Amino acid sequence: MRFLLNLVLLLVVALGTGFGLSWYALSDGRLFGAYQSGPWSTWLRSGAPDPDPYTRAYLARTGALQLGLSEGIQLIANSDSDGKPLSRDCRYRIDGSTPTATFWTLVPVAADGSPIGQSGVSSSQIARANDGSIQIYVSRGLAPYNWIEIAGEGSFTLVLTLYDTTLFSGISSNRTTMPSIIREACA
Amino acid sequence: MTRSLLYALGGLLLGLLIHLVVILTLPALAQDGVAARVDTVLPDANRTVLFGDLHTDDANPFRLDPDLTYALCKLNLKQGPGEVVATLPTSFWSVAVYGRDGTVIYSTTNRDGIGQSLDMGIFDPGQTRLLAEQKIDINAGLLIVEAPSDEVFVLVRLAPPQAAVRARYQADLARLNCHNIKI
Repeated sequence: MRFLLNLVLLLVVALGTGFGLSWYALSDGRLFGAYQSGPWSTWLRSGAPDPDPYTRAYLARTGALQLGLSEGIQLIANSDSDGKPLSRDCRYRIDGSTPTATFWTLVPVAADGSPIGQSGVSSSQIARANDGSIQIYVSRGLAPYNWIEIAGEGSFTLVLTLYDTTLFSGISSNRTTMPSIIREACA
Repeated sequence: MTRSLLYALGGLLLGLLIHLVVILTLPALAQDGVAARVDTVLPDANRTVLFGDLHTDDANPFRLDPDLTYALCKLNLKQGPGEVVATLPTSFWSVAVYGRDGTVIYSTTNRDGIGQSLDMGIFDPGQTRLLAEQKIDINAGLLIVEAPSDEVFVLVRLAPPQAAVRARYQADLARLNCHNIKI
């Protein structure tokens, strides 16, 4: 009886560790392969011709056509700067500056990657402060300055895509200049 | 108690082994990877599919940026080297070549000095050897890409500067010519 209990313990620990760790590692690269800056994360080698095994598994899991290294890089945020999951019931302010890029887009999407609003914003369409910083509101209701309208219920993800960027190219010094996501009010 | 701890430690080690097996075998076992999704929208090679307005589409299987427009084509290099030809607007565009496992074999943008004309040849290792031996005739200025496998996907991304020109940009992408070079 004791042997059977120990065997069950071994199997539970093995399966929990094996599959749990795999899920955790591939969710947003929290173990290997990803870069994290505040709420933003990206898989550094997802657009490389020779991705590491974790990135290769991530590519297989998402089925996405990733940006090539010379095209740009995509960063995603599932939570605000305080670590709370993004909710469509809340209004968020995206504040700060973005890394150097020819242009960028910011789009809210659902868990399956489909857009949840009529449009996102791009760097060529927004009003900026005198110092070049951005202030973008993401909410269901009308908001001042630059506004991204979202629709529906539940959680969502913000996708910031930097095209033709020097980020991670080795010639940029602005790795950490990512905008904050600040939760303002919730319905 | 000590024996139970040893079993738990054994479970932990076995778990790490399972983790490594999952990570290493997932690309081969995935049923819904890039290749399966491309095969759904593009059953045949040398065809092109456009993703014009992903904001209004219900699904975005390739998780593409909906602010851009796209042309995706599939090439089978067993039928000869692939060639992708297009004349595109001056605003930002890029092109990426993917293997069946979704890895990016090659990518570039029009900021790299290509200008408005895209003329890219895709060769497998055998064809690259023939090319080096000058046994394949190609156009001067052809951008040469070597692919490790015979089936590749090519995605052209085009960024309309404003919504008003989106339809015209889609028409430009619709003229993308994706074919095999006769050798």
